[in-house]
Amino acid sequence: MNSHAAEMVRAPVRPSTAPSALPRLAVDGVSKRWGRRRSLLVLDDVDVELGASQLVAIVGENGAGKTTFLRILSGLICPDRGTVRVDGLDPERNRREYQRRIGFLAAASTGLYARLNVRDHIDFWARIALVPPERRAVRCLETMAVFDLLEIASRRVDRISMGQRQRLRLAMAFLHEPNLLLLDEPYNSLDGRSAALLASALRASRSRGGTAVVCYALGQEPTGDLAFDTTYILQDGRLRQT
Amino acid sequence: MTALSINLGAVLALVRRDAKIFISYRFRFATQLVSTFFGLVLFYYLSRIVGHNVFHTSNEYFAFAVIGLTVMEVLGATLAALPLSLRQELVAGTFERLVLSPFGAIGAVASMMVFPFLLSAVSALITLTLATLVFGMNLAWSTAAYAIPVALLGAAAFAPFSLLIAASVLSVKQAGAGAGFFVTGISLIGGFFFPVSLLPSWIRWASDVQPFTPALQLLRHLLVGTPATSSAWLTVAKLAGFAVVLVPASLVVLHRAIRFAQRRGTIIEY
Repeated sequence: MNSHAAEMVRAPVRPSTAPSALPRLAVDGVSKRWGRRRSLLVLDDVDVELGASQLVAIVGENGAGKTTFLRILSGLICPDRGTVRVDGLDPERNRREYQRRIGFLAAASTGLYARLNVRDHIDFWARIALVPPERRAVRCLETMAVFDLLEIASRRVDRISMGQRQRLRLAMAFLHEPNLLLLDEPYNSLDGRSAALLASALRASRSRGGTAVVCYALGQEPTGDLAFDTTYILQDGRLRQT
Repeated sequence: MTALSINLGAVLALVRRDAKIFISYRFRFATQLVSTFFGLVLFYYLSRIVGHNVFHTSNEYFAFAVIGLTVMEVLGATLAALPLSLRQELVAGTFERLVLSPFGAIGAVASMMVFPFLLSAVSALITLTLATLVFGMNLAWSTAAYAIPVALLGAAAFAPFSLLIAASVLSVKQAGAGAGFFVTGISLIGGFFFPVSLLPSWIRWASDVQPFTPALQLLRHLLVGTPATSSAWLTVAKLAGFAVVLVPASLVVLHRAIRFAQRRGTIIEY
């Protein structure tokens, strides 16, 4: 990390939204079925409530519905039944404010433009995430520094490694300082050092009130120095605390 | 900082993204120019064999076809480029990011039309320059400047068709292929390369119920002095009417298509 970037990282981050009696995340009776005849019940009346500064893991076997659940929480897809609220906001009625509060990392390695470089991605996301212009440059530098992307900032995405791509995708999830991070299999392709960077970024987010939900497959416990407040297991469409 | 300028920043970010991706393919623009030049050569020689019962001279047909070719480029860019790039975004998983951005999918999809339009405008300018300098087309210099606002108005009237095709891409995924048929169909009934008066009477009505033909006829009048078939102001009013009615309607349809795909869960499919 160069000295300028280090200085940027030390700069105070934007305070979280004012303390509120509302839960950070409130999921009430969410159900979702897939399949041609909606025969496959993936989520069955799921309830969960999380406060600020919580770090939560959701584990489950492949196909258990973790990705579906995170996609519903992110507002990408709608549940068949039930409601989701983030800081009391509805993903449809308060779409823009809702999305300002969400940082989403999709599973797999998609969502990047092969012909753009790392800096282009970060800048692009900062703009469509509507980060205020006076904070944009600082936030871009801070986030690239946090995920150790400064050295590869000018390299095209199709010319960097899978682990570097994953760090870039993580940086885009954290960039706009969301209140709720939804990370689907974030440890994919990350080495030990990168996992430690992620753990550090999650701790920093928590220190300013951010809550994070991290999904990973059973038996693939994350590496890195990170302790979850709560771990849930998703099985047979139900979410239960371990 | 107003909300307007922040949103404008997001629009510009999408334009800049598209421009950077386009420029990253070094020879793309050059090959486009070469194909434009070949198009001009083709129509130049075709114009030499055109009979003089509809057009008074070969040069008159050449000018007629050049404007058709130019507007066709703009149409292709605005109508066919968006569904194609939207489909690429779906496959690459980048559309998901746009949906989840505070700027939002509707703003993003609409913004994705800007760069192809700007590029086609530059390409159209080069086509007209080549046609004038190399092939001796007579540009109507006294009225040519008026073509700029008319072209912008025409683009606003064309844009809803692009948004509707984009909405169908989100709903049925493969609808992008329909854009090609649409552009070809419009080029046949719109009078791009031959006058609509040559069409059979049973199909001629189709030239009156869309914005492409009046925009084309007015641009021809302003750029190469083709006699106007109706009042310029009437054409402008017609184009404005199409834009005022169809732009909000197409945005509503796009919004519904996105919501439909989110409810069904197909927004993540391709």
